[in-house]
Amino acid sequence: MHPNLELSISGLFIERADRVLCDNFSCQVSAGEIARIMGENGAGKSTLLKIIAGVLQPLEGKIMFAGEDISYHRDILQKELLYLGHHAGIKAVFSAAENLSWYCPTKSKDAIEEALTEVGLGGYLDTPAHQLSAGQQRRIALARLWLTDKKVWLLDEPFTALDVKGVAVLEQRLKQHLDKGGMIILTTHQSLDDSLNIKEIKLTS
Amino acid sequence: MNWIWFHKLGSPKWFFQWANKWSKFAFFIGVLLLTIGVVWGLGFAPADYQQGNSFRIIYIHVPTAILAQSCYLGLGVAGIVSLVWRMKMAPVFIKAVAPLGAVMALIALISGAIWGKPTWGAWWVWDARLTSVLILFLLYMGVIAIQNSLDDMQLADKAVAVISVVGLINLPIIKYSVEWWNTLHQPATFTITAKPAMPMEMWLPLLLSTLGMYGFIAGVAMWRMQAEVLVREHRANWVKKEVLDNGI
Amino acid sequence: MTYSSFFYSEILAVFRRKQDVVNALVFFLLVITLFPLGVSPSKEFLQPAAGGIIWCAVALAVLMSVEGMFKEDFNDGSLEQLVVSGLYLPILVLLKLLVQWVSVIIPLLVLTPILSQMLFINWEILWVLVLTLLIGSPALFLIGTIGAALTVSLRRGAVLMLLIILPFYLPVIIFSTGAIAAAQVGQPYNGQLAILAAISLITLTLSPIMAAVSIKASVN
Repeated sequence: MHPNLELSISGLFIERADRVLCDNFSCQVSAGEIARIMGENGAGKSTLLKIIAGVLQPLEGKIMFAGEDISYHRDILQKELLYLGHHAGIKAVFSAAENLSWYCPTKSKDAIEEALTEVGLGGYLDTPAHQLSAGQQRRIALARLWLTDKKVWLLDEPFTALDVKGVAVLEQRLKQHLDKGGMIILTTHQSLDDSLNIKEIKLTS
Repeated sequence: MNWIWFHKLGSPKWFFQWANKWSKFAFFIGVLLLTIGVVWGLGFAPADYQQGNSFRIIYIHVPTAILAQSCYLGLGVAGIVSLVWRMKMAPVFIKAVAPLGAVMALIALISGAIWGKPTWGAWWVWDARLTSVLILFLLYMGVIAIQNSLDDMQLADKAVAVISVVGLINLPIIKYSVEWWNTLHQPATFTITAKPAMPMEMWLPLLLSTLGMYGFIAGVAMWRMQAEVLVREHRANWVKKEVLDNGI
Repeated sequence: MTYSSFFYSEILAVFRRKQDVVNALVFFLLVITLFPLGVSPSKEFLQPAAGGIIWCAVALAVLMSVEGMFKEDFNDGSLEQLVVSGLYLPILVLLKLLVQWVSVIIPLLVLTPILSQMLFINWEILWVLVLTLLIGSPALFLIGTIGAALTVSLRRGAVLMLLIILPFYLPVIIFSTGAIAAAQVGQPYNGQLAILAAISLITLTLSPIMAAVSIKASVN
């Protein structure tokens, strides 16, 4: 489908607060693959995601995407990138729908409503985000997964604040994305559905 | 032109060893020149025909004021180097030199005030030069404050680099605006009457003490940078060896 | 995310947070009130000092409104999203600043005629004051942004930011009050205005880039 769509990391060296998180770390994720970063609390899973997303700069190492070094051609990756961090950029003064429409301006109101319904926020379209619980705010951010055409998803703990049903819905969506030739890298403590065929990446120093 | 020295300066290890050789040299030459200049200036140079002996504070005031400005210029250049080439030594330089520059500015301010008392009859007048040194001092305090407030070292390095660069660009504007402001507000009686060109016997000690001050600050700055390098590179093998071999 | 959707969301956010703008204006009024109360309410003092008083108050009010500019975006993660959005960060900063500038400067301009009466400024001088505000205040905002971006990760960044940024405000204040003073004694003041415009233009080219560098360093 997208033979070129491949993310490969080599020789990565990450250090945070004077602690080496990984040294000479390498991995590879291709289109249609889902990778899960394994490691204990504080092992640097979020940091690795941030480095791939380009929020942080690695001290050493190379990240290649679609055959290009992204430290020189970051825009190639960022055009295809959806990154959800711990705080996913939900503005408290905006309603749920407004929060989505400024990230995904091309989507219609109906599409946004549909996406919110998928994550169980169907009735909260016009509720200001600051009136919603932390879990609900998190789900607004997740609703972007139903609105996006981006190929590469970087998800930091996407399953927190989801109930069993929510987890199933999200897994379904992830599978859909993979079938369409997308690529997912995520961190989670949740045990996931085996049918997702997860590639595990161990982060050790 | 050969740029190897420039790239080498970016390596902490190379700098450390280079500074080992040169810091003492710069420091002692500096102290020597400074001593000669100050003793000559304070003890032997002729008195000013208008200000008498009170002008002699110039041998402290001018070198420190020049150094305060030079150090800021250095900060700005290091800031550009840090942002553009991401050279490891540039933030070290800023961190080491900023407090030195602040001290220089402070000494210049205090000596200026002391000089002002017999000359102008007041400890402080809003003279253009005094005011711009005061602002320079405030700029230094800003750099030091942000260096100390940000715990994350990388962020702190970036922040001081940004502020130094912005300061470097702003410094001429500030200086010019203060001078313009000063001519607008000051009655002419407050400025020192146009001085005749300094006689050689007055000028030479001033040159010596200024050069001496440069050497002195260069030496101290190198020592401070060496200490900072040891802290930052404490996990590198050469640091372990250095500390084990030569002590701290 | 596109530039226009970002711009629209910024406008919306300012409308939702009207209180912030009101706070800056009240603060501005308060600072101005301090002078007649603290020094002298006489016309002899206030009339020549009015330009300086208003400009000092403007500088402080601008600092106050700019200080929190990135704070919320930093805390809720939007700033991170801007960095990875693939859009050019300096332009985003500039758009955000434009919204901020308009939201503060327009109410300020509305207030100025009232204030100028309270400080005994003539109508002809008022025009010069408005001009200096229009030409000089972009520089205040642009320089302040750098400070806001640098201190965004600090819990108590406000004082630090004041410390760093205020010295850079001096030229703007000097030339603005210089223009007003010149106008008050009937001298030409377009030179000062030209310099103000120059300062605003220099900061316009420089500070979005510097602010972007600072933001990238701050989100981690």
